[in-house]
Amino acid sequence: MAANGHQSNSPYVTLVSSDGLEFVVLREATSVSPTIRGMLRGQMIEARTGRCEFPEISGVILEKVVEYFHYWYKNQDKKDVPDMDIPVELCLQILDAADYLGLDSKPPLRQLKEGS
Amino acid sequence: MATRANNKIRPIRRANVHKDASEFEPCWELLRDALTSIHTKNAGSLSFEQLYRASYKIVLRKKGDLLYDRVKDFEELWFSNHIMPRIAELVSNNLVSQALLKPPGTSAHERREMSQKFLRGIRDAWEDHNMSMNMIADILMYLDRTYTAESKKPSIFAATIGLFRNHILNNSLGSAATELNQDFIIFDILSAVSLDLINMERDGDIIDRNLLRNITSMLEDLYETDEEIAKQKLYLTVFEPQYIRNSKEFYNKECGKLLQESDASTWLRHTQRRLNEEQERCDTTLSILTTDKIANVVESELISAKLDDFLAMEGSGLRAMIDNNRLEDLSILYQLISRVDKSKTSLKTTLQSRVMELGLEIEQTLRNTDFSTPSAVGGLEGEEAAEGGDKSKVQTLSAAAQQTAAAIRWVDDVLQLKDKFDNLWKVCFNEDLVLQSAMTKSFSDFINRFNRSSEYVSLFIDDNLKRGIKGKTEAEVDVVLDKAIILLRHLQDRDMFERYYQKHLAKRLLHGKSEVHTEKDMVYRMKAEMGNHFTAKFEGMFKDMVVSSELTDKYRDHIRSLGDIGLSKTAELNINVLTTNYWPWDVMGRNSQEEGAKADCIYPPAIKRLQESFFKFYLKDRSGRVLTWVSSAGTADIKCVFPKIPGKETGSLSRERRYELNVSTYGMIVLMLFNDLAEGESLSFEEIQAKTNIPVSDLMRTMASISIAPKARVLVKDPPTKSIKATDTFSYNAHFMSKTIKIKAPTISSLSKVEGDEERKQTEKKNDQTRAHVIDAAIVRIMKQRKQLSHTQLTSEVITQLANRFKPEISLIKKRIEDLLVREYMERVEGEVSAYRYLA
Repeated sequence: MAANGHQSNSPYVTLVSSDGLEFVVLREATSVSPTIRGMLRGQMIEARTGRCEFPEISGVILEKVVEYFHYWYKNQDKKDVPDMDIPVELCLQILDAADYLGLDSKPPLRQLKEGS
Repeated sequence: MATRANNKIRPIRRANVHKDASEFEPCWELLRDALTSIHTKNAGSLSFEQLYRASYKIVLRKKGDLLYDRVKDFEELWFSNHIMPRIAELVSNNLVSQALLKPPGTSAHERREMSQKFLRGIRDAWEDHNMSMNMIADILMYLDRTYTAESKKPSIFAATIGLFRNHILNNSLGSAATELNQDFIIFDILSAVSLDLINMERDGDIIDRNLLRNITSMLEDLYETDEEIAKQKLYLTVFEPQYIRNSKEFYNKECGKLLQESDASTWLRHTQRRLNEEQERCDTTLSILTTDKIANVVESELISAKLDDFLAMEGSGLRAMIDNNRLEDLSILYQLISRVDKSKTSLKTTLQSRVMELGLEIEQTLRNTDFSTPSAVGGLEGEEAAEGGDKSKVQTLSAAAQQTAAAIRWVDDVLQLKDKFDNLWKVCFNEDLVLQSAMTKSFSDFINRFNRSSEYVSLFIDDNLKRGIKGKTEAEVDVVLDKAIILLRHLQDRDMFERYYQKHLAKRLLHGKSEVHTEKDMVYRMKAEMGNHFTAKFEGMFKDMVVSSELTDKYRDHIRSLGDIGLSKTAELNINVLTTNYWPWDVMGRNSQEEGAKADCIYPPAIKRLQESFFKFYLKDRSGRVLTWVSSAGTADIKCVFPKIPGKETGSLSRERRYELNVSTYGMIVLMLFNDLAEGESLSFEEIQAKTNIPVSDLMRTMASISIAPKARVLVKDPPTKSIKATDTFSYNAHFMSKTIKIKAPTISSLSKVEGDEERKQTEKKNDQTRAHVIDAAIVRIMKQRKQLSHTQLTSEVITQLANRFKPEISLIKKRIEDLLVREYMERVEGEVSAYRYLA
């Protein structure tokens, strides 16, 4: 599916928070989130522009999310990785965003198969 | 997760979202519009995030069930309004009757066009549907992750993609069903036209492979139910069985046709092509899931079904392939057969019987070939005749030479046959172990069925070492020796071979007819092949030769130091001291056949002195040893002077001629007699015999060599016939002349020729005696160790122990057991039927 989409072929994508902060992230690093993966395949705006806006995630939280993306990307094949530091006051909101982005579970089989 | 977030944690943002419970409808409206856009391919302006968030919120509000049902309803409606009519249009009466009723008369081209149009329609509808469903499933990801998973329903994707199966494949759309009064579903048509296309392709038409591949991958993506169980892909449950059935039918027919109309060679190539085609078809047109199954179909229908019929085909079957060296055919055949039968029984049996037949044919040819003229046995054997006499090229060969020629011919033929099959084995049969052992067995069988094989192999080696080696490179020698070893490996009665080889080797060594290092090489190879005990005697013989040469040197020094000039002037002695056990009986002059063999011949006084002198020398260091002169085994170089013939002024006869004549020891003794004779006198055969005491048969040969063979006729025989009789008289040939200084008197009927039937019986008899001893020893060894054994056990142990020497006959073993019972080496165990106990 991704192949016939119009998304830019750049290895980076831009994530935009509710307060307008932009994060440029390695496309591969975002693929840990099935939600973003879904956005970036297919033919909708996000896929075409490589720009994903999240009107309900604040910059502070999205920054943490992006940090996690990189953390996952760097450490995905490693063992005994140190935990990522998460400030207690952000816990609830991060949890919320994680749920939204589907970071709570392994991607379902069908998506793995089709994921590019 | 979502539940937990809802129950326990209330993020600030969510609190105000939550109070508006009526948000379902706006969200749904947003989603519904998006679904329509997706279906109409207008998704480009939609925001995934927005849609995802809409469904996310609905789910968070616990309205997942409602969303699920709405989406499903929407899709069903869309499907029946937009997609089903499209397909229904495709299902024309014509197509249905074509696919299901197969009326005759439509051209393949027409059928192909119609089928492909239909399939294209299905494919397009499927691809649209599939793509839309994927996108929708992506938007509704959160629904699938939470609600669908919790309520154990099929995912939204499975539920909607399944519509294609339910409403199209398993449905009969359009009016064709009623109009044709034909009960069918679209799937039937789909399968029928697909199979039709495949058959067209098998018949050589070009079809749209991609289209078929699209269709089959659609069937692979659809399942029997929305649960999507891996084994229940529609491709596997519906299409594949039909495909297999169809192919079976196709190849069954094709095989029958091939059997009737073609030969085995065509069949092989055709089958191979079909196998490749089917493999390729699975790769490009159908599904790799089917690769093995369809290969099985081709294997069973095209290979196994009529294998024996094809192999038996006159002129092109297996036999013809072997005989005409059709390597390619055989390679293909091997590959095909290996596919269907791991033990390759049919190939194996035919190969075996062919080896056997060809082997027996060699024997047959040998029996029917007349080896009496050199031309019958080729150029090599021409030399054989040359030895008999220069001008006698067309002269018949002696019996012995004929036998040698036969032996070499036999070995050559067998090796050729072996080469042929080895080549087949290497080139065509992938060095298959099963086939190798089968062929090896057949070779052994026919080689051992031929009762002179042991002797012939030894003769072959003898001939090669004596003549063939000259002028050959190391590598070529290696090849010859290897060949000999190959044959040796097949021989069962190795003790027989050992006996012959010993005899031939003795002859070669004593007469210096071969190169020692090649001889040693050969023996070394045998040692590697058969073990130490086999070559012990041969190595002993080599040792004797070395020791003897040293001894000769020492003796010469000794004579020189003595200063006995008279002794050293008369003759030089080259001595070979042979250890009794290593050397064969007949070389050692102990042939019991010969009457009075024990009586020494009478040596001329000069020689007698020499002998005594050596005796003294030898016994100085080795007192108590017994030396016996074996006069039949030696040779002598005689320097002879023929004075010029008075009255001849020109030509070589006018000069004095000096020659060096090489004759056997007997020949030397006889010639010395003539030294003492006055000119013009002659001696009769009987006189010579009386004066020398040489055994009659040996003397006959000796006389023939120096009075008949033109090359060395230093004696004149009266009457001048071609054979020696007891009444002949001999005189000095003053007119003897030769082109060369060194002359070798030909050996008449050398021992290394093939034995006559009489001799061979002798050899066998002797061999049987030896075997008896060997068996005795084996039995005693076994009994000593086991104390008590039954007859059968004992017999089989004996056979195993002796396996690498020879194959003892059961009757012989039985006889030996009885003999040992009589000699009280063992006794019968009382109360038990045929069991023995060892008596210490």
